[in-house]
Amino acid sequence: MSLEQETLNAVQENQGGAVVQEAPEAWKPKILAFTCNWCTYAGADLAGLNRMKYPADVRLLRLPCSGRVNPQFVLHAFQKGCDGVLVCGCHPGDCHYSTGNYFTRRRMLLYRRYLEYFGIEPERFQIRWISGSEAGKFRDTVVDTCEAITKLGPNHKFREEGR
Amino acid sequence: MSRTGVFVCHCGTNIAATVDVDKVAEAAKDFPGVVFVEQNKYMCSEPGQQAVKQAIEEHGLDRIVIASCSPRMHELTFRKMLTDTSVNPYMLEIANIREQCSWVHKDKGEGTDKAIDLARMAAAKVDRNTPLYTSEIPLTKRALVIGAGIAGIQAALDIADAGYPVTLVEKEPSIGGRMIMLDKTFPTMDCSACICSPKMNEAGAHPNIELRTVSEVEEVTGYIGNFTVTIRQKAKYIDYDKCTGCGLCEVKCPSKVTSEFDRGLTQRRAVYKPFPQAVPSKPVIDATNCRKFTEDRCGVCQKICTVDAIDFEEQDKLVKQEFGAVVVATGYDLIDWGKLYGEYGGGAYPDVIDALTFERLVNASGPTEGHIVRPSDGKEPKSCVMIKCVGSRDPHKGKAYCSRACCMYGAKHAHQFLEKIEGSECYVFYMDVRTPGKGYDEFYMKTLEDGATYIRGRVAKIYPENGHYVCVGEDTLSGKIVKVNADLVVLDTAMVPQESAGEIGRLFGVSRDQDGWLNEAHPKLRPVETNTAGVYLAGTAQGPKDIPDSVAQASAAASKVIGLFNHKALESNPMISFVNEVNCRGCGDCVGVCPYGAITLETVERRENSVKVMRDIANINSGLCQGCGACTSACYSSALDLKGFTNEQILQEVDALCL
Amino acid sequence: MANTQETLRERARILLEDGTLDYLIGWEAGRFEGQTTPLIIRTVADVDRLIYNEYCVHLLAKYPLADKTTKKIGVVVRGCDARGINLALKDGQIERDRLYLLGIPCQGMKDAQTGEELKKCRECTHRNPVVYDELLGDLLEQSAVADRFAEVNRIESLSADERYDYWADVFSRCIRCKACRDVCPTCTCKECFTDQAAKGWQGKETSLAENQNYGITRMFHSGERCLECGECERVCPKGLPLMQLNRKVIKDVHELFGEYIAGIDDCTPSPLDHYQLDDVEEFM
Repeated sequence: MSLEQETLNAVQENQGGAVVQEAPEAWKPKILAFTCNWCTYAGADLAGLNRMKYPADVRLLRLPCSGRVNPQFVLHAFQKGCDGVLVCGCHPGDCHYSTGNYFTRRRMLLYRRYLEYFGIEPERFQIRWISGSEAGKFRDTVVDTCEAITKLGPNHKFREEGR
Repeated sequence: MSRTGVFVCHCGTNIAATVDVDKVAEAAKDFPGVVFVEQNKYMCSEPGQQAVKQAIEEHGLDRIVIASCSPRMHELTFRKMLTDTSVNPYMLEIANIREQCSWVHKDKGEGTDKAIDLARMAAAKVDRNTPLYTSEIPLTKRALVIGAGIAGIQAALDIADAGYPVTLVEKEPSIGGRMIMLDKTFPTMDCSACICSPKMNEAGAHPNIELRTVSEVEEVTGYIGNFTVTIRQKAKYIDYDKCTGCGLCEVKCPSKVTSEFDRGLTQRRAVYKPFPQAVPSKPVIDATNCRKFTEDRCGVCQKICTVDAIDFEEQDKLVKQEFGAVVVATGYDLIDWGKLYGEYGGGAYPDVIDALTFERLVNASGPTEGHIVRPSDGKEPKSCVMIKCVGSRDPHKGKAYCSRACCMYGAKHAHQFLEKIEGSECYVFYMDVRTPGKGYDEFYMKTLEDGATYIRGRVAKIYPENGHYVCVGEDTLSGKIVKVNADLVVLDTAMVPQESAGEIGRLFGVSRDQDGWLNEAHPKLRPVETNTAGVYLAGTAQGPKDIPDSVAQASAAASKVIGLFNHKALESNPMISFVNEVNCRGCGDCVGVCPYGAITLETVERRENSVKVMRDIANINSGLCQGCGACTSACYSSALDLKGFTNEQILQEVDALCL
Repeated sequence: MANTQETLRERARILLEDGTLDYLIGWEAGRFEGQTTPLIIRTVADVDRLIYNEYCVHLLAKYPLADKTTKKIGVVVRGCDARGINLALKDGQIERDRLYLLGIPCQGMKDAQTGEELKKCRECTHRNPVVYDELLGDLLEQSAVADRFAEVNRIESLSADERYDYWADVFSRCIRCKACRDVCPTCTCKECFTDQAAKGWQGKETSLAENQNYGITRMFHSGERCLECGECERVCPKGLPLMQLNRKVIKDVHELFGEYIAGIDDCTPSPLDHYQLDDVEEFM
């Protein structure tokens, strides 16, 4: 049972089982997105240029290509306290480096199933293809991911104690 | 210990309106390694840049974080700014607090928190940055042009005129490609030979152009500025230094072979020039059909040659040359319609011909001197059916794409047919008429005025009857089935890539699309570049085109080459992969994932446990590597890493976010 | 088996005597009954130390790899050893002409303490060596194997939290002795990620999170190249069900990219080394 849940239960018991409306002090998820420089990062910039609005819970980490994303980065992020991880790159066929994302597709497909096997919720680790022109898709992805992870609550899986 | 300076930009109110910049600056003071923090209204402005330079001097900063707009916007600006300071231009990280923060969030508290996180991540990353240096890559100022059709010739001429030497490689005995086979060119109807052969002659005689006909590219190593290309110069069995091109051998040769140039309408000899205006204007011997080679007798050409130019002993030569840039202009072929369209006779009806054969028929210098006759009986046809889109726009049988030139040359053929044969009829079956281009639609309208009958629909079947062909198709505008009798049927077949394009693509690492056309680096913004730096595309190697487009693209490719050659040397990209040799086990997993062929395994001698051993170790070619980092995630022992985006830097960023 | 042992000794004697081999890798008897240990013999005098019986549990494929000289090495190979050799050849860890492989079709090995056939041998799909220079004994008919993925399927059917708890329990018992890595024939890196603390891949803390980091990452690195030799599970001092990790990757690879049998030959590229344009895509 998670710490928040325990606290919540305790509070509920004290109040005789009454439902507490307010969640524990406005918890916000911490979501890390590994993005390729040429497509998704550009798409995120375009969302900015278009003044689209989306939740502030996602931080982008810029890499040259989604092929640069070592699966260990993902596990490391969960270990250090991220509540969700996104890996984003160009659509297959559009890779700036021609083939990088084809390898990413295979590797991440396998790794995603692998982490789910160890109990991570599928919402917490997602892979998306977002092109430089898909500012709308970028916003929608952020909105959906934040919503899904907020619903799930803080991640404790693979996480170092005290983080 | 790092001495990081953090500079927070307000971007007027662009950032300051949604991000509490004071708070960000205050928080930045506590980031590890940060010794100086400053704010500025516009970091990218001259005073903003001055402030950074001053701070570097006053506070001895050795690395910089700028929290401002996207690095895609001003990373280069700030790198350039650092070049005249003591700080290496690559000791810089940018926190994107505008496009990805202030512009997309409404709540100032949230925006500020995120901006602090982004700045902290950048500071953590820059803490592990190392100075990177560009190096100068020498540049061989000689270009290779592969394929000497009109695109290749144009590219070669442009480069040569700019003063750089060019080697023009052609696999056929003459340059000229497809254009020299054509009769007239739309929409101006000037004679193709009249505008093409001067270019051919110019290319043949240009002091900066080295012509290599009957030659193919066999091997390629190296990278932009420094390609080493092995060219197979096939045996011509004729010494071009001695041959005067008198043509006596051609007259005396007893072996007759179907002429490829005339699309099978005539015959040529085994020693031959493909056509009279050929450049070089000297013959070659076709060994597969020459009796000297097949039966070891004859040799009459050798006997009658007055300058003793015939050399049956000649062998293929392999020539190794250095080039700085390459233009690929391998051109197109026509789809093998006979295999695909059984309903059109599958090639069995002699008077159902493709458009290129029609060009030879109608050509004043062709086998019939421009008289249109039926190949079967030599009679003048009175009616003609032309069928468009045979193999084009037909994903089920042929290709999904439009071949672009057919609507126009189809109109030209209809016009020529009606003009040359009095009282004739011409029917054109079409799907859509596409005539975008200067003077193109006017030309099509004129063909309609000439009396060509355009029928919207595909021909479903052709069968012979009483000495002519019956074409059955649907007129989709009236919804009726139509039957048209024709003496001659011309199929406007799809353009497909030359077979050799596959090998050229493989040799130079240029990918091809699903139909085999060579891929440009970007369909809109880099249309003549390829993903291999230093290799450019011209003409129909990249996709179907007409002559003006091919020539335009050739000149564009040439201007890229000239632009490249105008540099004294090339500057290398320092953000590329590197090998930690101690960790490399030599498995070669990285070799296959590299899209540029930049990684090779090299056997090196090492001392391990006091014993000399040989080991395979990955080696990165800094000229080929483009810095994508795909190899780094394929390397489980992290022997490969990417400068500017090292594992350590990325992990630091992750850690900084999670603090 | 006694026959095979005799033939093996005979061949070893000849091969060492005529200089074909510089040394040969096989097994010798251990200190206790039923116990064996890998053996390297360099001289004819040692030939009689060679044994072959139903307790030769160690995989020999990794032993020749440390030698980067030009010495010619003989290796006794069964199905698992031979696949390990193929894997090493594919990874460029040794040259084929430096190896002389004495193939033995394997009947399955027993646990010295219980006398039962080892779990890894019960699940073996390749009893016959897939590569050898000479064969000692006759090839065996491959017996049917029970569903290797039954345990994986069972775990997959649990809920996310149940799966996490199951694995957290497993990893909480891990002591990060790294025996599974040391014995694994796929682990030929010169420096394992787990030893690269300075780079930040793995912390040194004794904690569940670090155990998970080690276990999950190591097994993903072996991943699709796993031979299913079961050595990791055999050597694990805590008896952790490590094959349940590998088999998950193998099962997914089969499902997603088609069947791939690691080490069946020395040239087929592994599924993560190449791609198809129309690969499966579960995300977008």
